[in-house]
Amino acid sequence: MKPSLSFQYLQVKRAMLFRLPFLLLLLVLFFVSCKGLKTAVFDQYSYQQAISIKVEGLSLMGDATEAYAENEEDVRVFLLELDKIVEYEKNKPDNAVSYAMWQAVANEDRNLLAGFFKRWRDKGQLSNVFIDEAKLQVSESLDLIIRYEANKNKTNETNILNFLSAN
Amino acid sequence: MDIEELLKLLKDELLLVLGESYGDYKKETKADIEAFLTLSKVKLERWTSLLQAGELTVEDYEWLLVSQKDLLILNALYQAGISKLRLGHLKNKIIKTIVNTVVTVVI
Repeated sequence: MKPSLSFQYLQVKRAMLFRLPFLLLLLVLFFVSCKGLKTAVFDQYSYQQAISIKVEGLSLMGDATEAYAENEEDVRVFLLELDKIVEYEKNKPDNAVSYAMWQAVANEDRNLLAGFFKRWRDKGQLSNVFIDEAKLQVSESLDLIIRYEANKNKTNETNILNFLSAN
Repeated sequence: MDIEELLKLLKDELLLVLGESYGDYKKETKADIEAFLTLSKVKLERWTSLLQAGELTVEDYEWLLVSQKDLLILNALYQAGISKLRLGHLKNKIIKTIVNTVVTVVI
C-alpha cells in the first residue's frame, strides 16, 4: 500500500472509531424502538389445533339441520376445545394478533364460529341454505388464522436460511 | 334486483345514518363503507338472491351481513399481523447490515 493511501485509510479508521460510540448508541436505540415488532414464533401445536378446530367445527355446523338438543353435548365438548386454544394463545408472549383473531372467532356475540352455535341453540334448528352460507364465512375466518400462523413459519425459515448462509 | 343499484342505495343509506353519528369523520366513514361494500359485493348479490327466493329469512340475511362485517375485522387483524411480521424481518436485515458495515469499516 502506498504511504499516502495508508495515511488516508488510517484517517478514515480514526474518524470511524471516534463515531463508534454514537453508532452503537444508535443501534441500541434502534433495538429498543423495534421491541414492539416482536411476534411469537411459529407454533406447530397452534397450527394443528387451528386446522383441527376448522375441520371439526365445520362438520358440527353441518349437523345444525337437526335439533340442537340432540347435539348439545357435542357442541359443549367442541366449545371447550375452542376455549382451550384461546387460553393457550392468550398466554403466549408477543402473540396479540393471533389472540385477538381467536377471540373474535370464539366470541358468541360475533357472527362467526361460536356465534353460529349460539344461534343454533337459540333457534333450535337451522336451514340447509343458511348453514352452507355460514360455513363459508366461518371457514374463511379460520383460514385467516391458519394462514397467519403459517406465515410466522416463513419468517422463521428466512431467519434460519440467513443464519446458515452467514455461518 | 340490480345489485349495482342496491349497492348504491346501501351506500347512500349508510352514509346518511352514519353521517349523523360520525360527521367529523365523513371521509373515513365513506372509505370504510366503500371497502365493506366492494369486498362483500359477490356475497351480497348471492344472499340477496337467496332472500328473494325465500331460501333465507330476513334474520338469516342479517346474521350473514354481520358475519361479513366480523370477517372484515378479522381480515384487518390479519393484514396488521402480516405487516408486523414483514417489518420484523426488515428490522433484522437492517441490524445485520449495520453490524456488518460497522465491523468492516472499524475492525
